[in-house]
Amino acid sequence: MSDSVDTVLSPSRSARWMKPDRIKELTLVGIITASVLVFSLLIDNYLSGRFFNRITTSVVIVAILAAAQTLVLITRNIDLSVGSIVGVAAYLTGDFLGANNWAGPLIAVLVAMLIGAVFGSFNGVLVAYGRVPAIIVTLGTLALFRTMLSLYAGGQNITADSLPDWVLELNRVTVVSIGGLDLRLVFLIAILVFVVLQWALARLRSGRRLYAIGSNPEAAKQAGLPEQRLVFWTFVGSGALAGLAGFMFLARIGTISATAGAGLELESVAAAVVGGVSIFGGSGTMVGALLGATLIETLELSLVRVPQVSEFWRDALLGILILAGVLLDFTLHKRLGRRLTAAARTDAGGSPPTTIGARRRAGKGSSDA
Amino acid sequence: MRDWAARHRWETVLGGILLATIVVNATLSPFFLGFGNFINLFWLSIEKIIVVVAMTFVIINGEIDLSVASVMGFSAAVMASAFAGGDIPFAVAIVLGLLAGAAAGLAQGFLIARVGLPSLVVTLAGLIGFRGAARVLLEDRSVGDFPEWFDRLGQQPLIGSIPLALIIFFSLLAVAWIILERGTFGRKVYVIGNSADVARYSGVGVSSVKLRIFVASGLAAGLAGVLFAARLGSVRGSLGEFFELDIITMVLLGGVSIFGGSGSMLGVALAMFTVLSIRNGLGLANVDGIIQTGVVGLLLIGSVLVPNLLEGIQSRRPAPEP
Amino acid sequence: MTEVTPILTMSRVSKRFGATQALDDVSLTLYPGEIHAVVGENGAGKSTLIKIMTGIYGADSGSMVVVGEEVSPRNSAEAQLLGIAAMYQEPLIFRDLSVAENIFIGHQDRGRLVRWDAMYQDAAQILERLDLDIDPRMPAVGLTVANQQGVEIAKAISLEVRVLIMDEPTAALSAHEVDRLFQQVRSLRDSGVSVLFISHRLDEVFELADRITVLRDGRHISTRTVAEVTEESLIKEMVGRDPSDFFAWSDRPRGEVVLRVESLTRRGVFEDVSFQVSEGEILGFAGLVGAGRTDVGLALFGVSPADSGSVELDGIPVELESPRDALELGIAYLSEDRRQLGLSLPQSVTSNITLATLPRYTSSIGLLNAPAERQDAGSLAEKLTIRTPSLATPVSQLSGGNQQKTMLAKWLNTNPRVLILDEPTRGIDVGAKTDVHHLIDELARSGIAIIVISSDLPEVLAMSDRVLVMREGRVRGVFDRDEATQERVMTAAVGTV
Repeated sequence: MSDSVDTVLSPSRSARWMKPDRIKELTLVGIITASVLVFSLLIDNYLSGRFFNRITTSVVIVAILAAAQTLVLITRNIDLSVGSIVGVAAYLTGDFLGANNWAGPLIAVLVAMLIGAVFGSFNGVLVAYGRVPAIIVTLGTLALFRTMLSLYAGGQNITADSLPDWVLELNRVTVVSIGGLDLRLVFLIAILVFVVLQWALARLRSGRRLYAIGSNPEAAKQAGLPEQRLVFWTFVGSGALAGLAGFMFLARIGTISATAGAGLELESVAAAVVGGVSIFGGSGTMVGALLGATLIETLELSLVRVPQVSEFWRDALLGILILAGVLLDFTLHKRLGRRLTAAARTDAGGSPPTTIGARRRAGKGSSDA
Repeated sequence: MRDWAARHRWETVLGGILLATIVVNATLSPFFLGFGNFINLFWLSIEKIIVVVAMTFVIINGEIDLSVASVMGFSAAVMASAFAGGDIPFAVAIVLGLLAGAAAGLAQGFLIARVGLPSLVVTLAGLIGFRGAARVLLEDRSVGDFPEWFDRLGQQPLIGSIPLALIIFFSLLAVAWIILERGTFGRKVYVIGNSADVARYSGVGVSSVKLRIFVASGLAAGLAGVLFAARLGSVRGSLGEFFELDIITMVLLGGVSIFGGSGSMLGVALAMFTVLSIRNGLGLANVDGIIQTGVVGLLLIGSVLVPNLLEGIQSRRPAPEP
Repeated sequence: MTEVTPILTMSRVSKRFGATQALDDVSLTLYPGEIHAVVGENGAGKSTLIKIMTGIYGADSGSMVVVGEEVSPRNSAEAQLLGIAAMYQEPLIFRDLSVAENIFIGHQDRGRLVRWDAMYQDAAQILERLDLDIDPRMPAVGLTVANQQGVEIAKAISLEVRVLIMDEPTAALSAHEVDRLFQQVRSLRDSGVSVLFISHRLDEVFELADRITVLRDGRHISTRTVAEVTEESLIKEMVGRDPSDFFAWSDRPRGEVVLRVESLTRRGVFEDVSFQVSEGEILGFAGLVGAGRTDVGLALFGVSPADSGSVELDGIPVELESPRDALELGIAYLSEDRRQLGLSLPQSVTSNITLATLPRYTSSIGLLNAPAERQDAGSLAEKLTIRTPSLATPVSQLSGGNQQKTMLAKWLNTNPRVLILDEPTRGIDVGAKTDVHHLIDELARSGIAIIVISSDLPEVLAMSDRVLVMREGRVRGVFDRDEATQERVMTAAVGTV
């Protein structure tokens, strides 16, 4: 490594650079804008207040689940059980509200989040202390939680008329209305959740440590970070958020069967990955997750209105979106990684020319917790 | 014998569990030990265990394929919609279905083996995307009325009381067993699973092995999809949905490490038999299907957790070699 | 210095791994404000010693005293609380976090909230003190190794460590970067920190250290001030023998030129490398770690192909784009990294030996001919005196020396024309080392052209017919056997005086 190489590679104060996360977020904003523009050309009367209201209300559940998934993915884990937790929380909260008509919205939300947290802690114990890879644990609990719900429900559904009236009206409560654009309460709650989480990830010591753990577990251990405890609480947090999403699900649908929320786990992963959260851990933001969820929801709700496209394209497109998200993340990683490995390349460490980091992560990034 | 048991600890444990399951089942139901029930036990899950055989290779190789169930649905949908189109002979539709599976595997394998994307995400996208593709093809229709010979092959015994699917499965298992444990390809699969770098530094074509494994996985899923269509007599877009859980569980329960590089076909075969016996036993005892799924989920977690806990007790502080 | 209280005292520490006594009754004392170098060959016990200090291993016996108090840290976090921190050849960096966060991530005393402005300011201050021109806000992913190490030193300063262990910190640095690192280390010392410095480069040790401890085969040999030792006396104590002691060179018949390399270049890695090797010849590759020797080996083996230049095998130009190409042409490369790149540890001795030659044992339907495999593996195991309970034993259960021989057997089984051996005796015991040396000699006599890349200078000088010296990616000299003295080779490798 000659000195000239060194000066090229070493970023000096004057050099301009942008955080990878910002790049991803801006790209997403660009893609969302572009797709809205395209749809407005394809669909008559597309840019209306009603459509804005529909998207903002319907994005809420997926967005909150994307936030939950983001927390977990940052630590280089994955939570495939969120869909089942949504079902459990929605059902049990509905059950609770049916039996306790006195309970208000706040209590209902707390109950739902508590239920989610309890189930999340089960995942957390197994991943953090049992040292079982997250993908195995949550693939297992995806089935297990659903089974428990099914046993509990015994074929009975929660029906809308068993619920207090305010539950079903919740979805239509508008806080402010500007022009034709309503800002619904549920949407503002979701935004609040994102603001709090974004703040926690950026400003709390523990929040930064989640990134550290996902970024380099070995170094995190060396630095003495309480890895197990943090991973445990991440799963509890993910569960609690899934519980909140469960309550919103209840409020939106009203009728809850034992299969409620099935498949949402995949949408949550999709939203997070599309939102630039790395499946390799260590990077991703709440803003990105929200944008990812928004993009997916916009596409889903818009496509059905394009006359030439059948509604059945939804999942196929989702798959393609995820792939595109991963490819973008991978290319970014590789470009940054190449700078690093070009500099770090040494004939002592026996580093082969491929980026070892990327190779090691290439297998099952999120399963080697 | 003791030596064998020491080297194959997990297989021995599994054998014990299986024996216990069989004894319990046999006491619970007089029908369990009948030959007919055994045929049935395999037949009812034949599509899953065909894919399990391929998945064993995938996971030993250090990868994962979450898309198999969706590829099953996709292949069956391709076959059904080609048939519904009406212009081509049904045999060609079957071939198209199988090709669709192989192509799905090839596309994902390319992204994983050549581009270098992590299989977890690629096949997660595949899980969603190929299910979506199946829905695009069939929308909410159910395509049936296949030629009579096709339904008969799927629904009636072929030789004696043994149906075609079982013959296919057992020959597949035998061939895969030999390839994995006696073949050059199998040796490469293990070595790559242990360390792709060591394999590459020894002149082993790592990406071509990976690619072939994903094509095989897609093809197996395609075959399973077609057979499932024959057994059901009709195809919907949701065919095979959520099968991936059972499939991956059986492989991991068989002692294959999620990190790759270790496991045996014997273990996986024992695990298949165990899971099917448990499901069959629960079924005979009139336990609901969803509960069976929960039991399988528990087994999946337990199959990794229990060895972890045992290891933790054995050595609180693992002494690494110098 | 003796009236000062020691910061850290290791007394009569022993540690055994299986059959290997890694440390045997070793004592070491560190005083505040000293730079203490620990030198020794690979396998001398240096890394085991520092791993005990940092709590990664527990000692079997002996004690560790930090400022008068007996301690036994159970992990590196506990060691850090005691004021002991270590930095390694490859810095442990959080790529996705900012430079400032990397510095302060382990701190318990900065509150639950991250005060970004304060953190950036503090980080900037420390970085400035270290004369590092890095923006504390930028993500660590783009840092050079030198700057990553700067960040690690900044971390140590911010933690106010009392003992900083540096394990081969200069391995991947350029001369200019090494200078700056040394300035940083000296300023740490002057502020009262005790630095434990581990390096293979004796010139650096002499430049930097106040005291030097020599370890050999897990035992403490000597601790002296730098004024009391000379390079020769150190080498003698480290090796425990003269170069000529362990291998007696005798003339070998040399044949035609087998491999001719002309201006081989891989941009930013090595440049304009030319040489040739003949049948029966051993060409030594000397130079410091990081000089580009391994990279030339990897280019010839097709792992990371060169950008330009030509390679001729037996007079015919060849393309080397993958290890498979290289193996088909008869070029084999024994990796320096046995565990990561050389052996499939859970696999048996047999399947490791046949791994590079699988097509030979494959029948037309793709099945392996196990008896033939066992036969070849068996005869190679016998020839190389590989000691193993059986051929079916996983190589992970073998000693380092026998693992090394197994790896060598794998490449011999390919019947190579050219054999590139990268650090062929790294981390193996003396007996196995002698075996390997004799084996290499025998192979050369059988007509194989051999390249030996080794950081063990006496070894290179003893084995080679000619010695090629690399520095900073370029060939800086080729010496015939009788011209190749330690001084000349060292001078060419270091590049000073």
